[in-house]
Amino acid sequence: MAAGADGVVSLLSRLADRIRRDRRLKTILFLSPGLITLAVFFFLPFVVSLLLSFDMLVRERVGNTFVWILSLQPNLEYYIKFFTSPGTSVSIMQSLYYASFTTIGTLLISFPMAYYMAFKLDRRRKNFVLFLIFLPFWVNFIIRVYAIRFLFHPDGIVSTTLMALGITDGPISIIGTDAAVLITMVYSYLIFMLLPIYGVVEKINKELIEAAYTLGATPFKTLVKVTLPLAKPGIIAGSLLVFIPAMGEFIIPIIVGGGKSYPIGRLIFDQFIKVSGIQGWALGSAAAMVYVGLIVIATYLYFRFVGREVTLI
Amino acid sequence: MKVVDTLLKIFFWTVMVLIYVPIAVMVAFSFNASRSKVVFEGFSLENYISLFSNERVWGSFYNSIWTALIVVVVSLILGILMAYGVTRYRPRGSTILDSLIMVPIIIPEIVEAVTLALFLSIVGIPLSPFTIIIGHVAFDAPLAYLILKARFQGWNREYEEAAMTLGADEIRTFVKVTIPLMMPAVLAAAFLTFIWSYDDFIKTFFTRPTGFDTLPVYIWTRVARGRVELDINALSTIIVLVAMIFTYLRMKLEEKQSTI
Repeated sequence: MAAGADGVVSLLSRLADRIRRDRRLKTILFLSPGLITLAVFFFLPFVVSLLLSFDMLVRERVGNTFVWILSLQPNLEYYIKFFTSPGTSVSIMQSLYYASFTTIGTLLISFPMAYYMAFKLDRRRKNFVLFLIFLPFWVNFIIRVYAIRFLFHPDGIVSTTLMALGITDGPISIIGTDAAVLITMVYSYLIFMLLPIYGVVEKINKELIEAAYTLGATPFKTLVKVTLPLAKPGIIAGSLLVFIPAMGEFIIPIIVGGGKSYPIGRLIFDQFIKVSGIQGWALGSAAAMVYVGLIVIATYLYFRFVGREVTLI
Repeated sequence: MKVVDTLLKIFFWTVMVLIYVPIAVMVAFSFNASRSKVVFEGFSLENYISLFSNERVWGSFYNSIWTALIVVVVSLILGILMAYGVTRYRPRGSTILDSLIMVPIIIPEIVEAVTLALFLSIVGIPLSPFTIIIGHVAFDAPLAYLILKARFQGWNREYEEAAMTLGADEIRTFVKVTIPLMMPAVLAAAFLTFIWSYDDFIKTFFTRPTGFDTLPVYIWTRVARGRVELDINALSTIIVLVAMIFTYLRMKLEEKQSTI
């Protein structure tokens, strides 16, 4: 018994010694748990879905059971079906419109806010303001969106305020309009633009800006030539963080957009929820792949024409 | 310049107020005596009373918390290991590896959710709380990695080298020196991964077993049936209050630490 235990101990210590000395083994030990998890529960599902969308995974009966078989003859059936169905092009245009509007809207609001926070507040106030910005995020996203829905109700605050100001005569319902969707989206995605921009602007050396003034630059010129270029990595990061999820957003369109808005995220969601069986799966996968493809193209164009320095944190 | 500064200030605080309008209205209506969500008809604690007797709310709230906590622990472990491995050992192709790890952050959540659900169904893994957790980890581990990697890159190795020179072995150095140095980034990562997991609806919706609700899923089922009553407002009010207290205490703690 004792000899056996000794053997195990010496084996373990020899193993530990090897690991300590072998750099490659250490690397593998550190990386493999995470990489294997990602491979199995992210990359593999993605590939399976891709195969399914090209009709390359088929279900066949072998004896009494069904098995999935890889077919090496891809076809575009599901993509053709997806692109030729009547709502698709409207959906895609609507998604691009929502996502672009949200990105530009959050950017126009975030930059002055980040500028103010970084340059006009002392450290204590900065922390307090960051606390205020984060706090609403403890309220569930769906509840926040629902809370906005009630503001837009004909008897809600927005309508009554507009009436009191004399802008509208009677109560108006904003629910179901594009404006409602866009306002709610800008509201919901603001923080994803604000934080990366703030992170970058906060680190800008203020002496650079003062130097520009000393050298005779106008405030406008300083902004365009000094501050904005320095803030660019944050702006790019924020734009990606807003644009990509905003394009697939479907909860906001469902809750405040009524039946009229039907962006691509809702299309994918409905495909999986409402259409059962392999048809729905394959069509949904095709839609999902088109969405990813559009994002890859948009990101590429953005990197190409705006820049590719990204600072996330 | 003065005018611009003043305008900037007004703009900033106007937006801050607007951010809080929906929250404030939600809190106010949690005390509404009638069931209306748009007309306030007097103060009452009725919604709070009905909230405390609603077992499904508390069940789903409990599910949200415990799954999120497991997600945070697993994601942090995987994220720390990956960030350490990539930045310290710089294996061949580490830039490609680095991009690969971050792909899940860039891919839209709805796509991740449906592909994972499809995969689980094809492979024949039955849905369970485990599938929810693993689905969250597939997003949160890269998120933790992203935050921790920035921290690893930012500090010099002198402290660790000093510990090693003084006779600590690598494991001891990792536990006694590296981990304490990482703490601020670990806390930031824990905070973000928790918030993400706790608030997640889409992935959970596709990977949950029937009958297992997290809070967002439970709220969604009520929204879908048009049955959002004010007890949800009451619950949100309590959550905001708890979050306020926690964040305040954390801020106080940080201030204390930074003055030492």
